Amino acid sequence: MSRKRALISDAFNLKKRRNGTEQFGATAAEEGPADIKSSLEYLMTLFPRKLFNDALPQIVLKHQLYSIHSDRTLVDKELNKMRERGDLLMFQLGFDAEAFGLVFTSDYKAKVLVGEEGKTTQTTVERFLEKVVTVCTDLSFTKDKMLKEFLFTDSEITQLVKSGVLTVRDAGSWWLSIPNSGKFTKYFIKGRKAVLNMVKKSKYGEVLKAEIEERRTNSQVKFHMKYHIHDIVGAELVESIPTTSGTLLRFVDS
Amino acid sequence: MLGFLTARRAGLDDPLRLRRAESTRRVLGLQLNPDRDVDRIHGNGINAIDIEAVEGRYMLSGGADGVIVIYDLENFSGKLQYTCKAVCTIGRSSRYVHKFSVETVQWYPYDTGMFVSSSFDKTMKVWDTETLKPAEVFQFEGNVYCHHLSPIARKHSLIAVGTTNPKIQLCDLKSGSRIHILQGHRAEVLSVRWSPRYEHILATASADSKVKVWDVRRASGSLFTLDQHNGDKSKASSEAVNTAHNGRVNGLCFTGDGLYLLTTGTDDRMRLWNSATGENTLVNYGKVCNESRKRLQFTVSRGCSPEFVFVPCGSSVAVYTLHTGELVTMLRGHYNNVDCCEFHPDYQEVYSGGKDCNILAWVPVLRPSGVEEDSDHEVKGAAGQSSVNPAFQDAWSSDED
Repeated sequence: MSRKRALISDAFNLKKRRNGTEQFGATAAEEGPADIKSSLEYLMTLFPRKLFNDALPQIVLKHQLYSIHSDRTLVDKELNKMRERGDLLMFQLGFDAEAFGLVFTSDYKAKVLVGEEGKTTQTTVERFLEKVVTVCTDLSFTKDKMLKEFLFTDSEITQLVKSGVLTVRDAGSWWLSIPNSGKFTKYFIKGRKAVLNMVKKSKYGEVLKAEIEERRTNSQVKFHMKYHIHDIVGAELVESIPTTSGTLLRFVDS
Repeated sequence: MLGFLTARRAGLDDPLRLRRAESTRRVLGLQLNPDRDVDRIHGNGINAIDIEAVEGRYMLSGGADGVIVIYDLENFSGKLQYTCKAVCTIGRSSRYVHKFSVETVQWYPYDTGMFVSSSFDKTMKVWDTETLKPAEVFQFEGNVYCHHLSPIARKHSLIAVGTTNPKIQLCDLKSGSRIHILQGHRAEVLSVRWSPRYEHILATASADSKVKVWDVRRASGSLFTLDQHNGDKSKASSEAVNTAHNGRVNGLCFTGDGLYLLTTGTDDRMRLWNSATGENTLVNYGKVCNESRKRLQFTVSRGCSPEFVFVPCGSSVAVYTLHTGELVTMLRGHYNNVDCCEFHPDYQEVYSGGKDCNILAWVPVLRPSGVEEDSDHEVKGAAGQSSVNPAFQDAWSSDED
């Protein structure tokens, strides 16, 4: 593949450009971490709240951020920082070992408490949210940990599973989960498959990003097209190729 | 560039800095060069290549048909157009040739008088380069996937061998004994690598998704197992605890200084580990396509800053920056899957071999050749397509005298 402009390492930038890049680099470094938060917020706006009757907090997948920012390691580091600060929660969604869902902690707590109004499990869930979710950034909990560290009894654990905050992982351990997220997973997988099929069935297996965003979605696709496109680009199920007419999405046969 | 040269001359900069900057610039300019070719001898895919460490002149290649070829990489012809000729071949007609495909070849680290090859015919042969006859043959019970000789060993001359048997065998070159076994894996061992920093440290990768690091002087098992979640047991399902990848681990490579270890797995991921502590540095390279059922041979550049990883990815070679995980470029040129690639540190060239029976040489191209026809004046440094530099052409004398 011939390239019109050769790759050039940072060391060989001319002095003028170096000053330019330094300034740019400085602002980019400040913008970088802040940028990730704003892209997260942008992706959250793509999440359809009406579809679930506002019962679910806005969920974004971690690999959707990779489609916006090119440096994945930076994105990972930033997300870990946010998780440690307690602003963001990460969930193992279950359908793919690498698909992690991200929810803002405040959103999550609000929605869970609203959902628990008037139920018998309310007090246990409140205690769980206060003691565990605020403190621990783990994705899953083992029985030992729940009993000894957080002092929950067996029956309380059953209540937490019933309310949907914990999902069974295997004997004696549970994933942290979002209550009523089954619908989300179902629609998401269906929509992803439908969008991928749309790309696959296009002529030559490729389609311009701008064009597919404009297409009419069939009944399978319940989410915003852009949400799905960020997902398939970030998960590398399609290749994103820059062309003169815009970004081209090409189906990756693996 | 001139800044670097003057700084070095004045003593402001360390000489290493100029060398590193120029090496990096050359690696970024790697392209398929129409002038450099490697003799096409193999009739079948090429599984392994190795460039000798002493002079960087001779290259070994092992093919799927059991043939082993030695090439001379040096260009003494004076011409730009050069084909790396095959110096000698152990072809199908040789009495001692391997019966099935050769999986790994490696030169003896200290001179080119000897090389070792291992193959799916369950043998590992130590060859004498002069006579092209095996000086020693080690027989195994299963297909041999890989072997490695330590490049820095002074106190031992062990060859680590990975076969379909989960036990790793250490064969001693000096005595011919093979009683030393490393036990710990549960499935076939796909790749073994000695550390280029400590002569007793060995890393092994297996189809049971685990990578173990051993000190061969220790009697009691591996030093540690690499864990992709760094001990964070909550991230994965409980079967995936202590695994390096979510699939078979089929490629291992230490960086030049031995401080980091790279592993690739069939879960399409490549991970960078701190080789002293076994910690996953969590550098995210994205999807590194990997469908190989056998060992994948990939390399890391040496002497550049930042370092680059060259990984065969389908029918091209992907180049990533080592510590940031950024995809720099894809080297496209092969017609079929690429199986192996090797970096030549002295010339910053990459040689890659694949199923299309070709070994391609990727050579740094720095100055565009002959782009404008009327700019013969600035040709002083340009390596034009013509063999005579126009600056040396005789534009003075006329034909009349």
